[in-house]
Amino acid sequence: MASSKVMQDMPPPGGYGPIQYKRNLPARGFSGYTMFGIGIGIMIFGYWRIAKWNRERRKLLIEDLETRIALLPLLQAESDRRSLRVMRENLEEEAVIMKDVPGWKVGESVFYTERWVSPTNEELYNLRPREELIKSTFGFLKYM
Amino acid sequence: MLSTIITHIINPLAYIVPVLLAVAFLTLVERKVLGYMQLRKGPNVVGPYGLLQPIADGVKLFIKEPIRPSTSSPFLFLATPTLALTLALTLWAPLPMPYPVTDLNLSMLFILALSSLAVYSILGSGWASNSKYALIGALRAVAQTISYEVALGLILLSTIVFTGGFTLTMFSVTQESIWLLAPAWPLAAMWFVSTLAETNRAPFDLTEGESELVSGFNVEYAGGPFALFFLAEYANILFMNTLSAILFMGATNLPMLPELTTINIMIKAALLSALFLWVRASYPRFRYDQLMHLVWKNFLPLTLALIMWHTAIPLATAGLPPQL
Amino acid sequence: MPGSVEVPTLQELNVEEVNVSSAVLKAAAHHYGSQCDKPNKEFMLCRWEEKDPRKCLDEGRKVNECAIQFFRQIKGNCAESFTEYWTCLDYSNLHELRQCRKQQKVFDDCVLDKLGWQRPELGDLSKVTKVATSRPLPENPYHSRPRPEPNTPVEGPLQPAKYGSRMFFWNW
Repeated sequence: MASSKVMQDMPPPGGYGPIQYKRNLPARGFSGYTMFGIGIGIMIFGYWRIAKWNRERRKLLIEDLETRIALLPLLQAESDRRSLRVMRENLEEEAVIMKDVPGWKVGESVFYTERWVSPTNEELYNLRPREELIKSTFGFLKYM
Repeated sequence: MLSTIITHIINPLAYIVPVLLAVAFLTLVERKVLGYMQLRKGPNVVGPYGLLQPIADGVKLFIKEPIRPSTSSPFLFLATPTLALTLALTLWAPLPMPYPVTDLNLSMLFILALSSLAVYSILGSGWASNSKYALIGALRAVAQTISYEVALGLILLSTIVFTGGFTLTMFSVTQESIWLLAPAWPLAAMWFVSTLAETNRAPFDLTEGESELVSGFNVEYAGGPFALFFLAEYANILFMNTLSAILFMGATNLPMLPELTTINIMIKAALLSALFLWVRASYPRFRYDQLMHLVWKNFLPLTLALIMWHTAIPLATAGLPPQL
Repeated sequence: MPGSVEVPTLQELNVEEVNVSSAVLKAAAHHYGSQCDKPNKEFMLCRWEEKDPRKCLDEGRKVNECAIQFFRQIKGNCAESFTEYWTCLDYSNLHELRQCRKQQKVFDDCVLDKLGWQRPELGDLSKVTKVATSRPLPENPYHSRPRPEPNTPVEGPLQPAKYGSRMFFWNW
């Protein structure tokens, strides 16, 4: 039983030191909480700007509506006269067209009532070129 | 007569032709960008830097024999690709760049309605093909688009609370002070993901899956009809990005120089499209149940909660927009 | 028995119109609203009370006279700055006033200088106003027929129904 001279490869006395198996990534950028905070901060800033601008926009809308309030009498007077003028011209046209029909009363109201009934666009522009009806219905809208 | 020709033929053509050109070159950009992201070159044979590739592709597709499967429903089979492209091009009409072709007051609702109609082209084509793969693909695509449309609609609702109207031009007025991206970035993030899913892009491209799945609802299509689907899809991608740019990264309109607005919007849309390509190059595909989980269990509750929050905040701070 | 619709003759309707475009009208609107306040309010009151455009033609004529006078004054005194202002408005399709504050300031200063017109404050034009008018309040503007007398006397005696109630199941 001769003890061999060959030494077995053994760990150092006291064993190896601990192996570092933990992942060691560098912590780049901001921490999660900071980024969350920045995000919330941006949102709050955005709310503030939008709210401020929306209050301003409400004033701008009021200003816009006031232009309409100011102009309404003028436009209304104009459109009243325009439709009355068209009605008058229609009456004259009607007299010419229906002159051969006995017992035809020119300008007879189709309604029982005596009150003013605003004529429809079709009524007004019936005896005129079709373009005028389209113009008065759609105005400058080109793609109808 | 002349004005009829201008309004009904020249005006639509004036936006359709640029959109189609943009679509053609978007396909080239996509292949180039994907190529360089994967360390290869992408198309570079046809023309300088492969610039004529989209034209070659188009010519190839349109001179190919269009296959019409004998058991398919012939009318629906050909009508649905046409419908897809028509809808994709019509969607562009109310976009303010800065002046829209059709100036609608409820342009946002118009866009929502038309993009919902696009579902029918998918459903119809899948059914009309009379093939079980096409039918299953169509069902999956329809389920996906409808689900993500819910999220899109709800996100739009909360942005509308900020702007005070369904008119798209109002968005650019609202964002003169700050982009909506700042107060509503969570919404914007969800919006971007939902547009990815809505246009069937990677990582939500289970409906196409060019390499792995058998191409979904359009397996039976080849040649011209397929080209129509392809154009519609890319036109929708560009449209969605333009819409995102208008909604969240508002372009201020200077009445003196409206051309600047156009350039501004289109640069932002191009950047977002590049982001689409980047996403496609980077992320693996979603599993179908994960996709549905994302929209119904994450996006839906979040958007619903944010709607309440975004109605409460302007009310509390007296920051409601003007309402006519 | 329908009556006939009475339409005034063309001479009555012949009024000098204000032939300007929308941008011009909008640019002038605030000053116009404060300067021609009286005829405008008079006309609107008439229109509201009478419910009939044929009865407010005189008031409408005054509205137009005032407007023409107003625009002539602008043309005589501040034509240049006013033209600047409304061309600026005409650049955008919505005629946004906020895009043209600079030109507006110049125009306002000119008008204040030469004509002494003050721009009305925000909210002044939308105030509810009382109008002192000599026009009598119209009677029955809706031409309603006279209402029947309440509780008209019943002719003949009232008696219970001969065969009871017609209600089949609950005939009490």
